[in-house]
Amino acid sequence: MSRENIESRNEPVAGEKLIELRVNSQVYVLRVGRGPGELDPAHTLAFTLRETLGLTGTKVSCDKGACGGCTVLREAEAVLSCMLLTIECGGKEITTIEGLKDAKTGALDPLQQSFIDHSAFQCGYCTPGMIMSSKALLTANPSPAEEEIKEALSGNFCRCISQYQVVEAVKAVSGKKG
Amino acid sequence: MKTFDHYDAHSLDEALGLLANRCGKARINAGGTDLLGLLKDGVLPRYPELIVNIKTIPGLGYIEEDGERLRIGALARLCELAGSKLLRERYAVLCEAAGAVAGPQIRNVATVGGNLCQDVRCWYYRYPAHLGGTMECARKGRGPCFAIKGDNRYHAILGGRKCFAVCPSDLAVAFAALGGQMTIVSPRGERKIAVGDFYSPLGNGLADDEIVKEIDVAKAFGPGRQRFLKFTVRKPIDFAIVSVAAVTEEKNGVFANARIAIGGVAPGPFRAEKAEEKLIGKKPSEALAAEAAEAAVEGARPLSKNGWKIEVAKALITRVIGS
Ligand SMILES: Cc1cc2nc3c(=O)[nH]c(=O)nc-3n(C[C@@H](O)[C@@H](O)[C@H](O)COP(=O)(O)OP(=O)(O)OC[C@H]3O[C@@H](n4cnc5c(N)ncnc54)[C@H](O)[C@@H]3O)c2cc1C
Ligand code: FES
Ligand code: FES
Repeated sequence: MSRENIESRNEPVAGEKLIELRVNSQVYVLRVGRGPGELDPAHTLAFTLRETLGLTGTKVSCDKGACGGCTVLREAEAVLSCMLLTIECGGKEITTIEGLKDAKTGALDPLQQSFIDHSAFQCGYCTPGMIMSSKALLTANPSPAEEEIKEALSGNFCRCISQYQVVEAVKAVSGKKG
Repeated sequence: MKTFDHYDAHSLDEALGLLANRCGKARINAGGTDLLGLLKDGVLPRYPELIVNIKTIPGLGYIEEDGERLRIGALARLCELAGSKLLRERYAVLCEAAGAVAGPQIRNVATVGGNLCQDVRCWYYRYPAHLGGTMECARKGRGPCFAIKGDNRYHAILGGRKCFAVCPSDLAVAFAALGGQMTIVSPRGERKIAVGDFYSPLGNGLADDEIVKEIDVAKAFGPGRQRFLKFTVRKPIDFAIVSVAAVTEEKNGVFANARIAIGGVAPGPFRAEKAEEKLIGKKPSEALAAEAAEAAVEGARPLSKNGWKIEVAKALITRVIGS
């Protein structure tokens, strides 16, 4: 590796770049820059979802990767939106809690309905994250055992002790389609 | 987070060039699960001007065995290690250690390279700058180590000097037990270093312009018996208080080989060589395991509030070896 080769590369220039963010099957084109409405390279996905796109269903609690409140799906995998840079999320399909309902009828996902039926929350702040982690699990493994449910939700914290109801809610829809 | 420039690198050369150009003011982002925390809290003495994303470099996410070596690319994700059939069958200690890191959402993005290069979790070092100012300490190049006189319940009992933070990486412990080595690239070329030698009390052995490319493990002896045990207060978000990785092999009813590494007790993974010596040539038994555990922590020098970690380490070693 010669130094010449390395240094002849272009240095990045902010402001030239567009990021195509796909959220809940909708494409948002964000201009990278530091002006109002632009995508600052330091913006987290959680920030962009909530503050730029107005999708406030995703909750930020610790903002440190520790609580799971900000969980969204990236290509069907559960990830923490507070620990991802939006600028690195271009081209990937992101699903938030807003994207779970049926796009045509507006009907809730059976998993969401099950959370309601089981009162699987108290204050509800952890719920979007809980549901997104459960969704990732059920997509990969439609009939999980109780231990697998607990493992999949081990990165989601609930301050109100609703975990028992959450496990019941997930169990109730496992083994079914949807 | 304060702003920075951002660049998606498409090759190692390109990433190395950017690091070299910025003379320590550029930083690599892999999974970002450690880096973003450091940036948000303003922990790093030099806030980076440029973040270089290396996830866009193709071909660095492999987990494969070629002949006598296991090779893992720096960008392999922890979920991939935890789910790898090859690792489960032949390098179980790695598989278990990867699965023991954080929660599923973090394992879905965190990388092997980032895991080994992550910064320490000492609560003085990590104290958020926006809550009344950063704590200038020995590790940041200014000031004392606050753990010496402060609350050091989770700090080092072995090998601390100037700074008593412990290496938080679970994979480092598994790699140390397997005798893994890292391949590090820079504009000066390539070098190799054993994972066990990578850490020092004031930081890891990475220069500003270096990138970890690969970690490899030589097949020194058969897969034998491999175990990883980790003690935490609350399972998923917590780092190891103490962890132990052991790779042992028995022949004719006695230990023929043993490698034991302890995590959470020192600036790097601590190879318990005295415990290994105790085992060789002896028949496995609970009494022997307890003897090895005692030998493992010989020379430990706890601080004012962390003597209990010695007992935790002994209990884990006894379990790993004895069961
Ligand atoms: C809530 C929480 C719990 C956690 N629990 C654990 C745990 O139990 N066990 C554990 O081991 N870890 C734990 N972690 C730390 C976690 O961040 C790491 O495990 C993870 O593997 C880091 O990988 P990454 O790819 O995200 O690293 P990044 O954040 O991308 O990088 C970490 C550092 O390494 C540097 N770096 C990254 N890749 C390279 C490379 N190839 N070459 C050179 N430098 C590089 C970066 O510049 C950065 O300074 C936890 C983190 C959180 C937030
Ligand atoms: S807000 Fe992202 S994990 Fe807590
Ligand atoms: S319902 Fe309140 S945090 Fe979970």
